[in-house]
Amino acid sequence: MVKRRLARLAVEVNKASFSYNNLKAIDELSLKVPNSISFGLLGPNGAGKTTLIRLLVGLLKPKSGSVRILGQTPSRKTAHLIGYMPQLHSLYAELSVIQNVDFFARIYQLSDKHQRAQHVEEAIKLVDLWQRRKDSVLRLSGGMKQRVSLACAIVHNPPLLFLDEPTVGLDPELRVTFWEHFTNLTRQGVTIIISSHTMDDAAHCDRLAFMRDGKVIAQGTPLELQQATGKPSATLEDAFLYFIHREDRSDS
Amino acid sequence: MIPSQALTIAARVIQQLIRDRRTMILIVVVPLVVMTLIGLSFPESTVLDYIAPALLATMALFFSFLLTGISFLRERSQGTMERLMASPVSRLDIVVGYLLGFFIFALLQTLIVVLFTIYVLDVHYYGDLWQIFIFQIVIITAAVNLGIFISTFARNEFQMVQFIPLIIFPQVFLCGVIWPVEQMPNYLQWLSKILPLTYGVDGLRDIMLAGQSLLDVGFELAVLVGFAVVISIVAAITLRRSAAS
Repeated sequence: MVKRRLARLAVEVNKASFSYNNLKAIDELSLKVPNSISFGLLGPNGAGKTTLIRLLVGLLKPKSGSVRILGQTPSRKTAHLIGYMPQLHSLYAELSVIQNVDFFARIYQLSDKHQRAQHVEEAIKLVDLWQRRKDSVLRLSGGMKQRVSLACAIVHNPPLLFLDEPTVGLDPELRVTFWEHFTNLTRQGVTIIISSHTMDDAAHCDRLAFMRDGKVIAQGTPLELQQATGKPSATLEDAFLYFIHREDRSDS
Repeated sequence: MIPSQALTIAARVIQQLIRDRRTMILIVVVPLVVMTLIGLSFPESTVLDYIAPALLATMALFFSFLLTGISFLRERSQGTMERLMASPVSRLDIVVGYLLGFFIFALLQTLIVVLFTIYVLDVHYYGDLWQIFIFQIVIITAAVNLGIFISTFARNEFQMVQFIPLIIFPQVFLCGVIWPVEQMPNYLQWLSKILPLTYGVDGLRDIMLAGQSLLDVGFELAVLVGFAVVISIVAAITLRRSAAS
């Protein structure tokens, strides 16, 4: 993967808000994510994780505040810098694995045939599906579809990856494999923003933001967040509950 | 000039349909079954000759609208539209790509239906066959764009199906398919003037029954092309809102 000159921060959100009709999904949220790390957005369903990712990839525009990725406002011009794996598998079921990945390689303007073929092969091999490359996505298991979806997101070697709940429905073995991929990617300079509601994913991230009701209620490294509870044996789950209770107390 | 990203999307649409063999068979067989039943229901061949151009226009509108509308909706319901909207492709690329992709299949369908109607159902016509095809192509273009546009208002297949009685049925009754527009009340005649099928039926009848040329039906052609262009631009504009919802 080619390292590129990048802005100091991969993501910078400044007091951004977004509502679906009258429902506030993101509430004056601020966040800074440095480059080349895995950053976890942790929180229960409805916390605003997916909406935040959609703001960051440019699918939504904040009603107030600002959102920047790699120093720029998300737009079509920045689209080639990001890879996006939505929550749904988001694949063309009738097409084969290789046809899906090749389509997204073309969409991301990998126009040189030889170079594109190489990228497609690398992406499919990375998710360990080269043997199944000619199979229709329709015939694959849920976990395999997740892997194809990841291959589609990384085929153009973007410096910034947004993965919306990428490990949902994966068995433990596959989850480990996915995290090995993610760690490899960050070592190569890629920044990965992952949304999840499992503490297992949280433990793998370099930094975390705990989210609730469209706000970030705490952020730091997993160790920092655990230590903030004041209990030496605290798990990340304990830390999450600690910050939720602290937020509730300050609200009341 | 067609942008390369639109061609990439068109190629994918074609690839997808070719791999779905059952759909491919239905695309060919269903219009033929419908035309056969309609043809057999007319005991007088002169009546069938009169109604055939209107039926061809209606079939082109209906099947192209349905095929494109449902497929475009699937792009959203399976989440791939969200992925496309986060990529460097423009909304116009997506609409033009779909238009090109589905156009091939709608054209194939129309070719088969027109040839079947003329050679198997033995419908008499006066105009040139190639001019009939060109006119049908314009109807298809308008219908494919209409399908894309309407699908941006539906959240699922059930809702899309509800648009058929709203978009297709009134046109069948108000656009001169069954009885002449002139026999309808004034206000309905005005309504028929804003419906694309009116121009499709008029133009195709003039070619097939009166032996007129494409130049003679230039007004109807221009209205249909204008409708297709306007509706594709509006579809591109509404795309972002619908993909994000």
